[in-house]
Formats: sequence, C-alpha cells, structure tokens
Amino acid sequence: MSDKKNIIHNHTHSDDHAHSQLPSDPELRVKAVETLLLNKGLIDSRTLDELIDTYENKIGPQNGAKVVAKAWVDEEYKKRLLDDATSAIRELSYQGRQGENMVVVENTPKVHNVVVCTLCSCYPWPVLGLPPTWYKSDEYRSRTVREPRKVLSEFGLSLDPKVQIKVWDSTAELRYLVLPMRPDATENMNETELAELVTRNSMIGTGLPKGIK
Amino acid sequence: MSRLHDMGGRFGDGPIPVPRNNKNEVINFEPTFKHNWQAKAWAITLAAGALGEWNLDISRHYRECLPPKDYINFSYYEKWLAALTNLLIDKNLISLDELKEYVAAAKKGNLGKFSNQNVMLDDRTWLAEDVQKTLGWGGPSIRDTNVSPIFNIGDKITTQSYNPNENVNGGHTRLPKYAMGRVGKIYSYNKNHVFPDKNAHGLGESPLPLYTVEFKSSELWGISAEHENDSIFLDLWEPYLNPYKD
Repeated sequence: MSDKKNIIHNHTHSDDHAHSQLPSDPELRVKAVETLLLNKGLIDSRTLDELIDTYENKIGPQNGAKVVAKAWVDEEYKKRLLDDATSAIRELSYQGRQGENMVVVENTPKVHNVVVCTLCSCYPWPVLGLPPTWYKSDEYRSRTVREPRKVLSEFGLSLDPKVQIKVWDSTAELRYLVLPMRPDATENMNETELAELVTRNSMIGTGLPKGIK
Repeated sequence: MSRLHDMGGRFGDGPIPVPRNNKNEVINFEPTFKHNWQAKAWAITLAAGALGEWNLDISRHYRECLPPKDYINFSYYEKWLAALTNLLIDKNLISLDELKEYVAAAKKGNLGKFSNQNVMLDDRTWLAEDVQKTLGWGGPSIRDTNVSPIFNIGDKITTQSYNPNENVNGGHTRLPKYAMGRVGKIYSYNKNHVFPDKNAHGLGESPLPLYTVEFKSSELWGISAEHENDSIFLDLWEPYLNPYKD
C-alpha cells in the first residue's frame, strides 16, 4: 500500500526551528509569546485566568476520590463504573477534556494496577486534574513498563510476589483510573469520610488509600 | 526508527523524583503549577489550540519533533512552549519577524511598549465564557463508522516491527518501540478512534478499530522481566497489528 515516492518527509531540520529564537529564561520566553498572542487578539487573558483557576482550584484528585468512595459503598455503581466508566463518572458531573473515554481498573487481593504514559503524559484530567511532576518525568515514563515493582518500591509500596501487576500504558485516548481496595475497618465510615482516605497516588496505582498497610 | 519521547523500557534513568515531606512520607498533593510561567505556557497552549488550526495529534507530534538536545534539556512546559512557537509560525498565526521583535523587547524588559488597550479579538478566539462548556465537551476521538474490527477478544497478534506510519517518514505513531514486533493478546475492543498516524499530519481522521492488547512481561523484556506474572497493556490501532502466525 505504501509507495515510497508518496512518503512525505518530515520537517526535522534542527537548526531552523522558530523556537530557537526564544530567550533562555523560560519566564521571558512565555511572556514574549503570550504578549504577542494577546496583541494579535488570538488569545484572551480572561480565558487564561479561567483555565488556570479551573485546574488549580476546581478539577483535581478530590473528584476521583468521590468516584472511588461511591464505588466502595454502592455495589451497583461499582458495576456501572467497571462496565462503562465514562458514563458512571459523568453521573457525578465529571467529564470532558482528557477524560472523554474513561476506563476504571480494579485492584483486588490478586491484582494491582498501575498507570503510565510512556510516550507523553496522558492522564485523566476530569478526575485527577493535571499530572504531578513525577508522572511526567523520564524516570517514571521509561522504567514503569519494564520494572514496575522497583518503581512502586520507590513510592514505598512493596507488593507480594504473588500479586500480579498490570501496567496500563496510555497510548491512545483512553484514560485510566485505578479503583483501589477499600481499607479494612472502615465499615462505619460514610462516603464523604471514605473519600478522605483516597489519595491521588492510589488512583494512579503508585500508592494505597490511607489506612492500608 | 524512533524519537526520544518514545522512552518506555529505556535503561539509564535514575530513581523516580517522588516528593516526600520532612517525615519522609510520600506527598500526594502538590500545587498544580510550581511557577506562574508554567501555568501560562500550559494555558496559552490550550487557548491557541482552541483556534482550530491544529489538532491534538499535531501538537503532540510537534513536541516529539523538537531536536533531541532540546527535548532532553527542556523541562516539561518548556517543551510545550517550544512546540507551540513552532506551530504558531508554521500555521502563519504569527510571523518570525513579529516573534523576533517581541523576543528582543522581552530581553530588554520592554514588552510594555506593545501594550494595547484596543485589541480586536479574532473571530476564532476562545472566550472565557465558553471555557467550562468547551472543557466539558472535550475532544472525543471515537467516531461512528462502518469499519468492523478484524480481531476478536482473545486473538493472538504480532505488532509491527518498525514504525508503522506508512505515509510519513519518521511520522507520528502511538506504537512504542518497546512493543514493536511482539506477540500479544487482544484484551478489549474500544470502538473506532481517530487514527493519530494520519491525523497528526493533516491526512484526515481515518477512524480505525482501537484495541487494548495485553503483553506478558516476559514477552517484552525476556530474561530481564521483573516477574513472569506481570502484564503490560497498550491501546493500539488495528494497522499496528498482524494476525499471529506460528
């Protein structure tokens, strides 16, 4: 099907990239591009403020924690969540950008799930917010698929060798959320109290909820 | 046959930079942005993307196409800003002369001279009033098409053993090199999604079946696999896969 003559050559001439014109100080670099775009009317500063405020203050792991806590107390919801995560998460009004197609993977006594994006930094924004620095680091991206147990041990997690590890490399537009196991001795806690136990890392698979040893 | 961003399985990287508090406990909550310029680089990238001159796959590919020495040396949001700058020029939203003029002023601390109270917003510009609505829609990649998947759940497949992009030399693909030429098993079929290998190059969306494929750790890493029971799952488009032959 591919005819050599039709192959397009990619633009990768390293010396003629426009970005090489930018100053070395990142702050100045951003300021120059931002001011230019504002003056051309291509961006609106109120939009930038709204975006930053949204992801600093409104969208974050507290959303995912509510999803997890609900699944812990409501067996029917948990079924819906594992069957069609996008719809079940939308029931709590979390949806949209970088969470258009959600998949929830369940931890059990026999299986521990961990999520990575080796090619870039894909992450389920509506339920976890923007990814932490370590998630975007070369170290996490390169090592998690090859030595997940060693990586998890650096987060203080040591798993029984009998537990199977499933690593989910987010190579397409599916976004993964880990459903951690509910800690023991939490029968008397309500949904709000349970959500407090759900850490961000427990929903990526690099941690456990508070109260699990 | 690959680029630096494709780093899954690579040797040489040190410990994960796990943030800890002074009791040596792992910190789960950090500020979304450590520096204001990072927030700005992220936000102007989203806002410029909303102009509709490129898609998500194109912007990813621009980050991947940064020269290797820049890809290595730039921090995360520096990569975003560099790729955005190249896109703005290539799509003629700004000119190189304009960029140089603003950069020169920035270096002299003189950007204020451009301050303009009477900016006319472009028709395409993303308005603050529309932010929540647009974020809520997102950009779904699933398409309703008549294409039927050729593989069934449980089928054994072999992945392409080289960059599968047949249209562009060194082109964008979402098959990482660590999973090239490997045998896996179809775990699920996730409907038909926009095909990044074409969409990243303006060659159309060409939605195709997307599968989640399970690979045994030992298949990917051989004798250096950490544990024989472990599995790695990747989301792969049909053209990356061939039926397994004994």
